[in-house]
Amino acid sequence: MNRTKLMVWWSLLWMFLKVNLLSPSGPASIGLLYKEAVTRQLMTEAQFVEAVGFSNVLPGSEALKLAMFVGFAAGGMPGVFTALLGAILPPTVMMLIVSAILQRFQQSNWIDGFVAGMSPAVAALIVVVAWELFRATSSKTIDRRAVLIAALSAGAFWLELPSPLVLLGAGLLGVLLYGQRSYG
Amino acid sequence: MENLLPLFLIFLKVNLLSTSGPASVGLLYHEMVGSYVTESQFVQAVGFSSVLPGSDALQLAMYIGYAVGGIPGGLVALLASILPPTVIILGVTVILHRLRREAWISSFIEGLTPAIAMLMLFTAWKIFQKGGTDGWEAWAIGLVSMAGMLSKKVPERIVIIIAGVIGVLFLS
Repeated sequence: MNRTKLMVWWSLLWMFLKVNLLSPSGPASIGLLYKEAVTRQLMTEAQFVEAVGFSNVLPGSEALKLAMFVGFAAGGMPGVFTALLGAILPPTVMMLIVSAILQRFQQSNWIDGFVAGMSPAVAALIVVVAWELFRATSSKTIDRRAVLIAALSAGAFWLELPSPLVLLGAGLLGVLLYGQRSYG
Repeated sequence: MENLLPLFLIFLKVNLLSTSGPASVGLLYHEMVGSYVTESQFVQAVGFSSVLPGSDALQLAMYIGYAVGGIPGGLVALLASILPPTVIILGVTVILHRLRREAWISSFIEGLTPAIAMLMLFTAWKIFQKGGTDGWEAWAIGLVSMAGMLSKKVPERIVIIIAGVIGVLFLS
């Protein structure tokens, strides 16, 4: 194990810790990660764009996938695990502390008030994210196929069909409707 | 303790069917609320995970895992959320250039996304309705929050904290 390799891993770990402490969400971390990865020449711009594309397409948390792509480009398989560790540590530590504290106050009055006030805001946040997701699908114009899938799945959720099945169905419908369009 | 295995499987499923943290909220709501956590715990989970720094998908998973099964629950949820993307990335980096030509994957996601957006709308409505109050106060908080978030001038987590504080002051 030579010294320079250790240094690379250490700086990678530090970089991911920093990015994850400074950004509240996956999409928000893309900007920071870009600055760190491309300006420090761990990746080329084209590689980074490709990594963002794949992170959006493959299942699972996109922030994690993006971190792992950057890690891989910078240091191969060990780089992937370093990136994973850096991305997991900050939220884990913080969330476990917050959960432990909050569970203790579960019965207090102010928690009820806090949740009552937060609920409409959380609902608003979900609507905003849903709208952004929907718009992000088909470039700028919302096309008829997306509207059709949205309407069909809304109907299915209304009838209370199991949601994983509806999602799988929507994906398959996507394959039928969008067909073999090549991935940009 | 006997909850840990179902918890693991639910988070595996949710993470295989959604491509990002926020998108998993709808699915997670359907799987968890009522059977494992209460409405109020779920709202806290979504609220705090968007307030704290770091990946909100992981925080959401851990908060719910913790509510179900303490620290082991939180770690199980974390593991199940990390496993699918890690295995997939390890696979993808190996066959990256082949995958690039598989157009059906992007078509699948293209179809999945409107459905996920719809599921999220349904979830948002349920959270709104059961949030403790659905009178004019809740509508006011909701609409003002949405305006704040859409304007992009106020960070989302600030909006959520303010809404919570307003709740403590006026709704409790």
